[in-house]
Amino acid sequence: MNRLNHLPTLRINPSEKRSLTYRGKSYWGFAGDTVATALFANGVRVFGRSLKYHRPRGLYSLDGECSNTCMQVDGIPNVRTENTPLKEGMRVKGQNVKGSAQFDWMGFMDKLDWLMPAGFYYRTMHKPAAVWPIAMKQVRKAAGLGTLSPDFEMKGLFDEIYPTADICVIGGGVAGMRAALAAAESGLRIILLEARPHLGGCFDYRVSPYNDDKKLYERARELADQVRQKDNIRVFTHTSMVGAYNNNLITAFQVGKEQDEFDERYIEIRAVSVVVATGCIERPLLFEHNEKPGVMQVGCAHRLAHTYGLLPGEQAVFSVGHDLGLEAAVDLFDLGLKIPCVADIRKDGQDPRLLMALVERRIPLLNGWVAAKVHGGKQVKKVTLTTVEGTVRRMIPCDLLVASAGLTPVNGPLTLAHAKLVYDSHTGYFLPTDLPEKMFAAGRMTGRNHPLSIEASGRLAGLQAAASYGVNNKTALAEAETALSGLPGPERGCKLVTAPVKGRKTFICFDEDTTVKNIKQAIDMGFDVPELIKRFTSAGTGPGQGGIPGHNLPLYVAQYTASTTPPKPTTVRPPLVPTFLATYAGTNHDMCKRTPVHDAQVKAGGIFRRIGVWQRARYFSGDFDCREDILNVRNNVGLLDASTLGKFRIHGPEALKALQRVYVSDMSKIKEGRIKYSAMCNDDGCVIDDGVVVKTGENDYYFTTSTGRACVTVEWIRYHTRFDGWDFHLVNLTDAMGVVNISGPNARKVLEKVADADVSNVAFPFAGYREFTVKGLIPVRAMRLGFVGELSYELHIPSSWMPAIWDILEEAGREFGIRNFGVEAQNVLRMEKGHIILGQESEQRTNLLDLGLGFLWDRTKNEAKTVGAVALRQAEADPGRLTLVGIQMEDNARAPKDGSIIVDDRVRGYVCTARKSFTTGEAVGMALVESQLSDIGARLDIFEDECNGRLLYARVVSMPFYDPEGQRMKI
Amino acid sequence: MVLNFSEQGTPMLGLAKKRIWKYNFMKSSYDAVIIGGGLHGLATAYYLAKEHGMNDVAILEKRFIGFGGAGRNTAIVRANQRTQYNVPLYKEALDLWPVLTRELDFNLMFNNCGNLNLLHSEAAMKTARMNISTAQFHGVESHLLDAKQTKEMEPALNISEDMTYPIHGAMYHPPGGVVRHDAVVWGLAKGATKLGVHIHQQTEATAIHTENGKISGVSTSGGRINTPRVLVSAGGYSAGIIFRMLGVKLPISVLTIQAMVTQPLKPLFNHVVSSGAYHAYANQTLKGEIATGAHMDPWPNYTTQTTAYYIKHQAEALSEFLPCLRGVKFMRIWGGLADMTPDMAPIMDGNDPVEGFYMDCGWGYFGFKSCSVVGKYMAEFMAEGNCPGILKPFHLRRCEQHRLMGETAALVNYSPDN
Repeated sequence: MNRLNHLPTLRINPSEKRSLTYRGKSYWGFAGDTVATALFANGVRVFGRSLKYHRPRGLYSLDGECSNTCMQVDGIPNVRTENTPLKEGMRVKGQNVKGSAQFDWMGFMDKLDWLMPAGFYYRTMHKPAAVWPIAMKQVRKAAGLGTLSPDFEMKGLFDEIYPTADICVIGGGVAGMRAALAAAESGLRIILLEARPHLGGCFDYRVSPYNDDKKLYERARELADQVRQKDNIRVFTHTSMVGAYNNNLITAFQVGKEQDEFDERYIEIRAVSVVVATGCIERPLLFEHNEKPGVMQVGCAHRLAHTYGLLPGEQAVFSVGHDLGLEAAVDLFDLGLKIPCVADIRKDGQDPRLLMALVERRIPLLNGWVAAKVHGGKQVKKVTLTTVEGTVRRMIPCDLLVASAGLTPVNGPLTLAHAKLVYDSHTGYFLPTDLPEKMFAAGRMTGRNHPLSIEASGRLAGLQAAASYGVNNKTALAEAETALSGLPGPERGCKLVTAPVKGRKTFICFDEDTTVKNIKQAIDMGFDVPELIKRFTSAGTGPGQGGIPGHNLPLYVAQYTASTTPPKPTTVRPPLVPTFLATYAGTNHDMCKRTPVHDAQVKAGGIFRRIGVWQRARYFSGDFDCREDILNVRNNVGLLDASTLGKFRIHGPEALKALQRVYVSDMSKIKEGRIKYSAMCNDDGCVIDDGVVVKTGENDYYFTTSTGRACVTVEWIRYHTRFDGWDFHLVNLTDAMGVVNISGPNARKVLEKVADADVSNVAFPFAGYREFTVKGLIPVRAMRLGFVGELSYELHIPSSWMPAIWDILEEAGREFGIRNFGVEAQNVLRMEKGHIILGQESEQRTNLLDLGLGFLWDRTKNEAKTVGAVALRQAEADPGRLTLVGIQMEDNARAPKDGSIIVDDRVRGYVCTARKSFTTGEAVGMALVESQLSDIGARLDIFEDECNGRLLYARVVSMPFYDPEGQRMKI
Repeated sequence: MVLNFSEQGTPMLGLAKKRIWKYNFMKSSYDAVIIGGGLHGLATAYYLAKEHGMNDVAILEKRFIGFGGAGRNTAIVRANQRTQYNVPLYKEALDLWPVLTRELDFNLMFNNCGNLNLLHSEAAMKTARMNISTAQFHGVESHLLDAKQTKEMEPALNISEDMTYPIHGAMYHPPGGVVRHDAVVWGLAKGATKLGVHIHQQTEATAIHTENGKISGVSTSGGRINTPRVLVSAGGYSAGIIFRMLGVKLPISVLTIQAMVTQPLKPLFNHVVSSGAYHAYANQTLKGEIATGAHMDPWPNYTTQTTAYYIKHQAEALSEFLPCLRGVKFMRIWGGLADMTPDMAPIMDGNDPVEGFYMDCGWGYFGFKSCSVVGKYMAEFMAEGNCPGILKPFHLRRCEQHRLMGETAALVNYSPDN
């Protein structure tokens, strides 16, 4: 197809070819083409098939309001080819077709519409019940549009940026540009978003005069130049605004140009004020077969010619309700389109200059006429026109029907910002009554259509936005208001809801194949408000959302129900433009934390697991039972990285009071040089944390929390002391400090070699706390703990020293057989010792008493209202709780799997952790069981998953399983 | 199938013109009034009329039936919960879908495709094993799969190590799946009104009246109703209504929960896939859209506003474990309310502290999957005045006794005091 290469408005570059393949053939388009315009240039008219009826669908709007031109491109389904830029080598495929879009074997579905009234699937296919599973498979196959391969990989780079702006202007038409320029006068930082690849909006492709020496497109380009010259206006073209959130947080995504590094990027803008100047789309004209290929909206036909150099047809009938339709007719006639007639829904009120232009070209104008039906198989061949009352009909041959009922504002951005829309009977638009705070609207979306009014409203909105930011521009504002008031105001809009037709093939929603008749059916069945009809008929829930039915559905419902209340639109939801998950995901870094000795553990063969935000070494060999590591701790010495523990300093005159509040123990009894183990409960008495506290000075304490609680502990303590006004300070040292745990009978021998202090059992006994240096340099806070049941030191060291001390200890320990052990080995070691890990031996509802930790609770603390104490007192008298017990299997061959349940005729508890102990040779573990089953010697029936009724048996035994006297950790 | 001929002379289904449910004028008294025309209210009304002959029942709905959680959930049903109190309840709920489809003569479109709960750590495998053992003990099918088996079930899953939370395996629950939520709303409305229940849409309850510690009536925007029984089943608004009208404060935090759908695709997934670690689930609707959602916004909130953060989070999560979805577009996101109790188990209670007053709330995000069975037993409760055994553990006073139900293993973190 020959392009109209001479047009000054073109946005394609005929000197740069781009190839694409479709149905096994190669085609050419040009840089600047969309995929669909390139295909159109190569004679493609049917781009796809509709969802239910497999009706052929073609180019309709060029802005992506419907799925008509959705195709599969490079394996990506549902690509709106009409506004997807053509890139070299694209592979394009039709979708939802058996055969091809042109010849679809499923085309017969169009004849079966009588089988599918509104909501038919709710009332069919369920009798007899056996039918449904079979029918469901067919429904699934028939539904959906594009196909996605489960192993599809999305290629490309997806970026994300988070700019801030004083004012964000949405819409880069003339109103938006004028708004940006006006706001920029006061030096504010402006961001201007434009959905199309170029600025200019509805002026960009129009050659009508703007004034005596300029045409509209020339004016648009002049403004675009001015915008680009402003350093404080940042322009994002090909950027669709998709979301508006509280306090003017605007989200959008940009499609990259060929030379950009990104394919798409997510943009999240924090703006102080916002100007919405998104203009209008066209309101679809409702008549029979109103979506057949060859039926096109005014802007689509106009832009095909002027932006892409493609004459949209040979012989075109126009059925319009707006001056833009007349303007396009005149213009396209001049480019060589034959126009047998123009039907205008309006009986009067047209621009006299346009009427004159039609007369000059001998284009007959039928006032008060409208298209009633188009004829033809896959494409338009003829059109029946009728008077709007349906009294007279006339059939005219044509291959193109340019059809539009009028305009409808793109007010999605306003409604996302909670503007309430009300039907305006002058324009026929849904317009906001009150605009949200610091948000302004301008341009065609306000109903203005005169070029000067559009511009003036843009300028005014820009100045208003600047004023709302805090700029003092009263004089300019007043001038702009006066200027606008002297210009033509909002124009009367065409009110015709539908051509006088029965509506069996009149599509109110293209994507869901919802006809006017379906809407009537839904209303007759009791679904009489648009929001319910939307749900029942699914109109407006397809890939284009409300783009096609958004305006017509409420109008039609109001008309059909003869409602006395004004029409009300359905809810618009983000994203306003469907957006790739890849784009939303952006760069998607995994932001995990690594401990200071991560690398050393990698070298040692560590196998890491994600624990909360951390990566922790869980194993050090492929033996996930960790036999060697465990035995080495029992017999020699092991090294564990415990840096993920929460670590805090609390200090100040009332620090102790705060500790008293959150810990169950009496924290005033902490002795210098001693550690105190205690727990924190919530108001239900459930244990939320445990750890150790040491006193490092007067009114100065250092304490640890479990890994998972590190991020909430400061908040927790603040929350529970919020009414007291106590004077204390909290410092989160979790990342500042690292922790090494050195455990095993040889631990002291290793430490002795490097510590600058006496670490003998006398000088540094069990449960002691010491501060010393290692190698004369590294400051260490050392605690003697017994978590794994051996002689054990927990060394807290500034993170920066951690790699050094790790190397020093490994070096010093080599002769004693030191090796790393991981979290799983620790898990088994501590289990043998009967020590709990919260979350493993507890669940949400487990309280302090259930865990046998009641001894930690000091009931005599009178000053402190201990968090959880009330609940604990109540629980003491409550017999029906779960209790933590030690269990030993009757058959020591193996332990039950963690999470197995303990049953009789019902569930009585569950196994928390159980292992076959390498140390004792017994299969032992810990379980939470109902207190009636917790007596020593009680027999427990264990039900494992997939046991098929073959139970395992255990006895309740006392803990710990290993070294019950606790000698080994005190040596 | 009944065929008749419509005005164009083409045949169409005989049912097409009938109203699906009836409108009635409000009477001045009813045997029972249900506040909230959502799934629980509709189901309770249906069972009151069907099983207990109590058809003099009014449902008051401030907006339109099914406009709250009923229309905002992602319609997943399953019975692989954690405790022995919940598993039998949800098992019966699963069994009820085909029964209701038949009884209501309305296709609820139960797609029992099965659920895959992805597990991303050793600890999660253990937790799942407890759920699975509990399910199997109660005769509910549920199995633990390793990563490879999981991939075989759902080929789109990424089981590589190169992700934030590598997949260790999954809890596979074959009898679960998806039901068409709107169909349940309309089907129950159809069934209930056919048996005589009145549904009053656009009618707001403004006060609940008591006399001598007993319910005596309800004031509405459409006038006063005398009744000896009131059920509040207004989803996220229940706690507010109960406090405002009766002064009973419930331990419920209301949070916004968001969900979204992608553009429709030909069949891609065969299961409901969910991941606790990623806070995301995804399933393909019969229409072909991928419906996805999961976690609540982390602060109490009565709005149904969506946030920029959440849709992005969801894209990031799905990109990792279902990477093919990167090539799919989100089409629509919406918010609903989740009314959360401290133990993530609902509150179903009656005649305490006011005789004739019943409540069914605190469902969080489990309200959809439970609606049928809860309607059945709440109806029994209201008709007979005695709490059926299966509902007893869910009484309100467990909260003041600090006896949490153990439906969740981990601490919940949605109110400021946790």
